[in-house]
Amino acid sequence: MLRQLCALALIWPLILGPAFGQDQSETPLQDVLQTVQAEVANPSRATVPVVLRALLAADAPGTVDFMRAWSDREVYERPADGLFFYAQPAGGALTLIDIDSGAEAGEVGTRDVNQIRPNAGVRREIGAALVAFELSHPDPDRRIAALDAAARSPDPDQITAIEAARAEEDDPAIAARMDRLIALLNARFAQDSTLRVEAITALRGDVSTPARSVLNQLLQTRTDFAESLPEDINLARIKTPGEDMPLAAAYDALVSAGLAPAAPGRNAIRDALRANVVDGAVGGVPVHQLDNDASRIIAYQALEDAGTVPPLVTEADMAGTVAQYVFFDAYLEPDAAVTTAAADARAATTTKVALFQFLSLSFDALSLGSIFFLAAIGLAITFGVMRVINMAHGEFIMMGAYTGYVVQTIIPNYTASLAVALPLAFAVTFLAGVVMERLVIRHLYTRPLETLLATFGISIALQQLAKNIFGTQARPLTAPDWLAGAIQVNDLVSVAAVRVGIFVMAGMFLLLLLYILNRTRLGLEVRAVTQNPGMAASMGINPDRINMLTFGLGSGIAGVAGVAIGLVAQVTSEMGANYIVQSFMTVVVGGVGSVFGTLAGAALIGSLQKGIEWFNPANTLAAQTYMVLFIILFIQFRPKGIVALKGRAAGD
Amino acid sequence: MIKNTLLSAVAVTALSTAAHAQAACPIKVGVLHSLSGSMAISETTLRDVMQMLVAEQNAKGGVLGCELEAVVVDPASDWPLFAELTRQLLTVDEVDVIFGAWTSVSRKALLPVLEELNGLFFYPVQYEGQESSRNVFYTGAAPNQQAIPAVDYFIDELGVESFALLGTDYVYPRTTNAILESYLLSKGIAPEDIFVNYTPFGHADWSTIVSDVVGLGAGGKQVGVISTINGDANVGFYTELAAQGVSADDIPVVAFSVGEEELSGLDTSRLVGHLAAWNYFMSADTPENEAFITAWHEFIGSTDRVTNDPMEAHYIGFNMWVNAVEAAGTTDVDAVREAMWGQEFPNLTGGMAVMNTNHHLSKPVLIGEIRADGQFDIISQTPEVPGEAWSPFLAESATWTSDWKELGCGMFDTATDTCVQLTSNY
Repeated sequence: MLRQLCALALIWPLILGPAFGQDQSETPLQDVLQTVQAEVANPSRATVPVVLRALLAADAPGTVDFMRAWSDREVYERPADGLFFYAQPAGGALTLIDIDSGAEAGEVGTRDVNQIRPNAGVRREIGAALVAFELSHPDPDRRIAALDAAARSPDPDQITAIEAARAEEDDPAIAARMDRLIALLNARFAQDSTLRVEAITALRGDVSTPARSVLNQLLQTRTDFAESLPEDINLARIKTPGEDMPLAAAYDALVSAGLAPAAPGRNAIRDALRANVVDGAVGGVPVHQLDNDASRIIAYQALEDAGTVPPLVTEADMAGTVAQYVFFDAYLEPDAAVTTAAADARAATTTKVALFQFLSLSFDALSLGSIFFLAAIGLAITFGVMRVINMAHGEFIMMGAYTGYVVQTIIPNYTASLAVALPLAFAVTFLAGVVMERLVIRHLYTRPLETLLATFGISIALQQLAKNIFGTQARPLTAPDWLAGAIQVNDLVSVAAVRVGIFVMAGMFLLLLLYILNRTRLGLEVRAVTQNPGMAASMGINPDRINMLTFGLGSGIAGVAGVAIGLVAQVTSEMGANYIVQSFMTVVVGGVGSVFGTLAGAALIGSLQKGIEWFNPANTLAAQTYMVLFIILFIQFRPKGIVALKGRAAGD
Repeated sequence: MIKNTLLSAVAVTALSTAAHAQAACPIKVGVLHSLSGSMAISETTLRDVMQMLVAEQNAKGGVLGCELEAVVVDPASDWPLFAELTRQLLTVDEVDVIFGAWTSVSRKALLPVLEELNGLFFYPVQYEGQESSRNVFYTGAAPNQQAIPAVDYFIDELGVESFALLGTDYVYPRTTNAILESYLLSKGIAPEDIFVNYTPFGHADWSTIVSDVVGLGAGGKQVGVISTINGDANVGFYTELAAQGVSADDIPVVAFSVGEEELSGLDTSRLVGHLAAWNYFMSADTPENEAFITAWHEFIGSTDRVTNDPMEAHYIGFNMWVNAVEAAGTTDVDAVREAMWGQEFPNLTGGMAVMNTNHHLSKPVLIGEIRADGQFDIISQTPEVPGEAWSPFLAESATWTSDWKELGCGMFDTATDTCVQLTSNY
């Protein structure tokens, strides 16, 4: 607070110099504020323009500083007399500072004054009003912030202010942003029609969100109707009720304009019939026959002919009434040249937008696939190579993630903690895997069902253990700053850097695993033991040791995957359970026993899930259901997965 | 003779203390919050608050001259177990009142038992509404005390015209979003400007959904997100928002299930400015709140622990119950129930909470902006809003109302002037 005030004091002359050098009124700011006391004390988006107008009109000394402080929630109201103050914290209390003189005005408790907290909507308005002043601020960050503020609440008045600032701007990056903002503002607000059309044409093929947003805004339409097409509108299209718009909607529009009688709904018909029962019949139709819509309508029409009820509006009646009017969409923008140019510019971006959206979806699919791959690759070894159904695989992922979390609480530097966490997670889960193999799985190699049950039990036990140690609240693994942002291709395609990191990591593990299995002695022995343990043993390989190491390796990789997954998702005791099904699916779909199969499986499942999500964006859960359905079908036709092992390696 | 009288007197005393424990001292307060399983972290805190409130009341001399005794059981986040333990509390432990539950599904599970045995229950969590049981007092927010004011704030103050309703796939988000969708349509928002998405519990892959929401901005309208995302999934959601550089100035997010407790584990520096709507925030600067926080920190033995909305709900509910028992002069459920109507107790955020005859509270709605320190800046506080049991924005319940005092019915159809049903087995 103190520092901010000092900074304000330092830049004071700079701001006041250009903006307020001229004739300033002598009314103190406090007096100006008191004229709009209620609006300043309880700001809302609806009332803030009143305050801003009053402040800018009176132009009292310190107005701009006050607006900034007000927006930054540094202004306090003293309820006793309604005066406004700045304040500095003094212990648990506040030292009030007079707005005009800057002198201390006594110490009060935090509850004796109201801190004024304008909401984001109000702050946006204040920011927009400050644009003209902030654009000439010496601090480039402030100028950029001012440009952002201008972009958020575009306003025709800003064009001149930004053009003026553009002439003075030295920083090429900021100057470019100013040019762009001027172009966007011109497209929307320029007085001269040719200038606007020019600015709009320049937006052709521009896929950025602000550009498309400007075009869409220019092309906003309203639906209306008239007896004949009016001359003074900028017509978008004529609508044919029944084709472009529902007949009922067109008729309802006429009803609400008082041009047609309302059609009685089913309830209204029922009530009308109920009210007109005569001798057990309505309009000649016995009551017991009135159990379907057709006979009810006949009865109602009989009543209508007798003139007892309002007319039943049939489909044909509606069409007849509606045909007397022209329904059309008209652009809100009156200038036809502008809307034509905008429609043309928007059409030019459509294909590009679709292409980039597809690209974005592909990146998402790749990212999801690499996460699935990381989660499943450990399983590809333990299940794929060793044929151990390890239901606790997910819990090894969780263990790795919690290792990362614990390391992060000890080492505050995120980069360093990540560098420590990855090998440590491997070590921890490798050990856990070895212990589990020695204590449980070793005894159950020939009994797959018992292995499944035993590991499932272990998985539940590990989950509860994690709950007891870490609680059930999700723990975050925070990515270091260099992994925190996104790699932005344009406004449509951007990939979170951490996902790219995971993709790279998945690739590295693929290579590492291929190397270990195909190029090292351990890999050779692993393959030998899994193909024929007896023969391998007689060749001098110790199957016990190899099984232990293989299981440890698979578990260790799961631990590393846990750290990676923790960076994009959340670390909870149940996170492993979320991945176990997907991991098994990946391995089975890809082809049991093949690392490349796992890769193919992960790619297939990742892109499949994203594809279904694209078709049905409203329900991510449904996407997952359809995916499982697809996989069941897939397994029916290719029971051995995408990459099916052949020959002796197939094992069976 | 004297000996006989003495003996029988002793026997009678012994019998009465054994058989009529609920009528005599101590008065038993059942606490039915999960202490293990997935809901433990949220609910354990509420158990602690109840123990603190009971201890404080005992220090003040108890109720009706009796000591209070908290009977704590653990339903272990297992919904059927909530029903079983409710039965146990009412028939074996013979408690006079129960404070408990968090999820809607656990509340639905125990309702039939509660109504069958005529128990008294206080439910402290914001929920989807569409319920008014004779035996339950709802001290959390109904949708019109949280969701609707938040949407009004979005429309009026932030100028949001395009809405993304993101939720976890279960009853609370689905019902709340159904209410909100109908409310938004009634406010003139076009159907194509409402984007709805449901994700499973613990959902982790948010990149596509966040991109979709960002993409809504191309429509040229201010986009806002209304999040009923629950639990762990919030971590991934907010991480992805931060990673894609979505600032609260561009796309504000208002959450109904994210409070101080949920933020305590997150790096909030990237979430500054996003919003939450509750009836209580820890940052409320009132003497009552300061005293409550101090007492809480003393009781729990740590100044790092946060307070949150359901804790305030228990605080209000418990104190109202104490006052109602004092007013009724008995712990008899029906007498206390009637004494509860119109009970007033000061909110921790200022103003007065009132228990209405539909068993919902009137309380203020607060909207807070997330600060870098994980607390909230209160930027909007409404006057007290009476909770609605039945939403007028859902077609099925548009004509329903609840009034246990005048109508004696929790599901009363004003269109036909009949009580639809008395039990809450829906």
